[in-house]
This record gives sequence, structure tokens and C-alpha cells, in this order.
Amino acid sequence: MSEDNQNDPIMQWVTFRLGDEKYGINVMQVQEVLRITEIAPVPGAPSYVLGIINLRGNVVTVIDTRNRFGLMFKETDDSSRVVIIETEEHIIGILVDSVAEVVELRASEIETAPNVGNEETSKYIQGVTSLENELLILVDLNKFLSDEEKQEMDMF
Amino acid sequence: MQSEKFGQQVVQQELALDSYLSTLLDEIPSEIELNQKELKVEAKVILPAQQLKVIPQVIEKKRVQVENKEEDSNKPIKPLAVMPDWAQYEFQALFFKVDKLILATPLTELLRTIKVEKAPTKIPGQPSWFMGLLDTHEQRIGVLDTGQLIFGKTIGQKRDLEKQPFQRILITQDGKWGLACDEILSIGKLEPSKVRWRTLRKKKPWLIGTVIDELTAVIDVNHLVPHRKTS
Repeated sequence: MSEDNQNDPIMQWVTFRLGDEKYGINVMQVQEVLRITEIAPVPGAPSYVLGIINLRGNVVTVIDTRNRFGLMFKETDDSSRVVIIETEEHIIGILVDSVAEVVELRASEIETAPNVGNEETSKYIQGVTSLENELLILVDLNKFLSDEEKQEMDMF
Repeated sequence: MQSEKFGQQVVQQELALDSYLSTLLDEIPSEIELNQKELKVEAKVILPAQQLKVIPQVIEKKRVQVENKEEDSNKPIKPLAVMPDWAQYEFQALFFKVDKLILATPLTELLRTIKVEKAPTKIPGQPSWFMGLLDTHEQRIGVLDTGQLIFGKTIGQKRDLEKQPFQRILITQDGKWGLACDEILSIGKLEPSKVRWRTLRKKKPWLIGTVIDELTAVIDVNHLVPHRKTS
């Protein structure tokens, strides 16, 4: 590894779209990207939980990312994808409008996003960077769900 | 007799001004409340040891203003110690419009204004008055919904930004924040004596005063923008 890479490491990010905005998640945490399959609703689950899917015999909870990010509901279409991700202890699926590409970013290119409110939810925004004349919002998947929410996941 | 008439006119003007601004901005204290609290504020301001020399002057001036209001009303108002530096002398202000309200802020507090050509990038989990981030002229600014900051969430959120988007953005001097507004009106000089300064600013600290002749709210953008927290 060159000295340059040690001082300013390069990370790969899978980008996806939700509405007009583009988001990025650490490629190392992405297991696979699925087309929309049948998602079985879970009675009594929080509003951000779409339901569960059967992934080769394993039950995976699918999160409504639009709901989580405070965006309007949108019907799924041909571009919709479920990204299977691995957080610290859980494997979950996140529903996104579309998956775009994998990009490489240097650590120095990432700027901390402003946190102007008191909302706990903004903790999962790791930073922002410019990419092809638009802003890419980087999401920290380990903070995507709170500890309480992770415990709740175990019950499904 | 003439002075009495003039005094009445001034009181009427101020009442009209209060009524106008109360309609647009709630929570503005009444005139009596203001005067009472102004005296309390002064007591706090003059307490520090380094300002002991100023005490007799400030108290005397204020008492003369309160007790002999009619006699003093045609004299220029002395700048108050609690006002920002730029408010002490004549300053150039930018007049702009948010909804139906005309606002003024000193030019020195601003970097430039830009036309809104693309929507800011929304960041999840932020308050509704934070419209998002926008890259402009090698700077990344946080764009704020000035309507919500000024009129409050309840009134500000009634505006449908898709149907009625803001047209311009005022960028603050530090280049970090953008205040979205409807229209840039003009640049003009403001004399402190033409402004009714608001000395008690516990509520709405950004509302510094009002230009009496033009029903314009003078704002301090530094108190309107949030202070970035490190995440």
C-alpha cells in the first residue's frame, strides 16, 4: 500500500437513489442486491419495517428507507431494489428506488454533514461529497438503526 | 401643544407598527412590557466591572427617554449598548422579501446572493427548516427556509415549496449558510435614528428592530442561522 493511500485511504461506496437524492453505503457491508420479491408484512412492526423476506432459508427484515429518511411513499417499480446489508450484528434489507454504481472516494473528499437539529436520526449520516455535479450523501449503516430498534428486529 | 400633538402621532405610528408586525410575527412583547424589560436588561448590561463608568450615563439617558418621551421624541435616538456593532452607525442594508414581509440586514453580514437554479440536496433527519446542502462557487452552503425561521414552523410549513419555491439565496459572510428568500428588493442606507431598536431580544433574538417609515424588520442573520454541531 502506498504512503498516499495510508494517509488518505480510498473506500468504495455503492450508490443508490431515493427520490432526487443519491446516497452511498460502504461496499464492504453490501452482501447482494435483489430485485423486488414478495415482502411479507409483519403485524405490529414499526412503520419503517416493510416486512420480511425469505433469503435462501434465512429471514431478513426489509426496511422502508424512504420512510426512514422522511420521504414520501412511492410504489415500487422495475428499478426498485432491496439491498442486503450487514451491520454490526444484523443482516437487513433496505428498499431503495434504484441502485446506481460503485464509486471510489478518498477519505479527504468526504465532508462531515451538518447536524443542525436534535434529531437522533441524523446520526446515520456519515458525510457528504460532490460527485458528478451532485451531492452524494454517505450513510453509516452501523448507525442506521438504534440499539433499541436492533433489539426489536430480533423479534421478527 | 404642538409637541403634544407630535407625541400622539408618534404613539399612533408605533401602535400601527406594533399591530402590523404582530400580525406577521407573533410573540413580540407589548410597548409597556418592552419598556419595563428594557430597564431590567440595562441593569444586567451595566453590571460588569469594566462598564462601571458607563452606568450613570446609560441610566440617565434611558430614564429621560421613558419619562419625557414626548420631549425627546424629535431628538436622534442614541445607539444602545446592547445592539450589534453595525447598528451603532449608519449602515448599508440589503432589503429582501420573504412571503409578504420586507426584511433588511446589513450588507457586511452577507457574502453574496445567488439565484436558485437547482434544489438543495436534502439531508435526512434534519429539521424541516433545513432545506439541504447546495454546492455553489466552490462552497457548500446549508440552505435554510427563512420563512420557517421567521414566521415559525406552523406558518412557515404551510408554504408548498414545490409550487412556490424560493427564488434567491442570501449567503452569510462566513459562506456556510444560505437564507432562501422570495425577492431581493434593493440596497439602501439605514440611519440608526430611523430604526426602532428592539433591546429585549430573549424571544426572536434575530429581530433587531424595525424601520419605522417602511415597516421593515431589521434582522441579524448571525442570530438566525444555527451553529453547526459536529456529528
